[in-house]
Amino acid sequence: MLALLFILFAGLAVGCAIAVVAQRNPLYCAISLIGVFISLACLYVMLAAPFIAAVQVIVYAGAIMVLVVFVIMLLNVEQEERRRQRLAFLVPAAVILAAVLIAEVAFILSSVQLSPVTPTQNVSDVGLTSSIGTGLFTTYLLPFEITSILLLMAIVGAMTLARQAKMLSPRARVVPGAQILALNVIDPRLPLDDTKALEASTTTEVERLLAIAHDHDSTPRD
Amino acid sequence: MTPQLSWYLALSAVLFTVGVAGVVIKRNVIAMFMCIELMLNSVNLTFVAFASFFQDVTGQLFVFIVMTVAAAEAAVGLGIIIAIFRNRESLDVDDASILKL
Repeated sequence: MLALLFILFAGLAVGCAIAVVAQRNPLYCAISLIGVFISLACLYVMLAAPFIAAVQVIVYAGAIMVLVVFVIMLLNVEQEERRRQRLAFLVPAAVILAAVLIAEVAFILSSVQLSPVTPTQNVSDVGLTSSIGTGLFTTYLLPFEITSILLLMAIVGAMTLARQAKMLSPRARVVPGAQILALNVIDPRLPLDDTKALEASTTTEVERLLAIAHDHDSTPRD
Repeated sequence: MTPQLSWYLALSAVLFTVGVAGVVIKRNVIAMFMCIELMLNSVNLTFVAFASFFQDVTGQLFVFIVMTVAAAEAAVGLGIIIAIFRNRESLDVDDASILKL
């Protein structure tokens, strides 16, 4: 029975994985990848890891794939067009190297005794949420904390990468190649106002605006 | 007949190989990204299989950490993809083969 289930879910996973590679439309790739995630979650349940299975569905199939599908639709990706094959002379070399690799794998599989370990039938607490939490907050506290720092870095990095230059603070004065100047930089008599900013597309325009600002500085003295 | 450890390892190896092949074959950045996710998942399957067959929770803890790294990778990777698309109007890796913008 378990073997039948394994064959079912493993076949589903491999089929969906091949579909991920074979599809040309990225959206179909994403849907196939969700199929891989779901079938792997079923395999995790068979391996007595219900918490990991739930996290797999929630985090991978839920959060990460929603993000990927969102980006695919945001960027309006078109299908890959067929292209002339580049580096065609490498195909025979690739076939030979693949044959060597398969021979190596076959040699290793035939020479190494396959693991005789069989699953123990006694009920254990491995895989329960409480045992995972206990391990995570006692023995593996340092990796856990490092992971949280990694997530913080990822948040900051994603925001830095994805934001547009127009969203810079108007208080930013002369950044190299500056495009945005606060109004009170150009005219110091204007009240501080963070909501209005002048925009200049080129450096010369910025210089011109700065020159205006210098003129305003010099006029009262004359 | 119950599934053996070697079955899971073989399935994981097949999934990993498919992922590597996808990274090599695909030219779309997002598709390559998804193939990397596939490779991470195959490694996760190995971890869970060992954790289950050796009755040790450590493997599942590392699956948890790998999932966190995958989430961080998704956030940063998709940010990079959006930045590339904004600069080049294309998601083809051949169009982004030099680091210069």
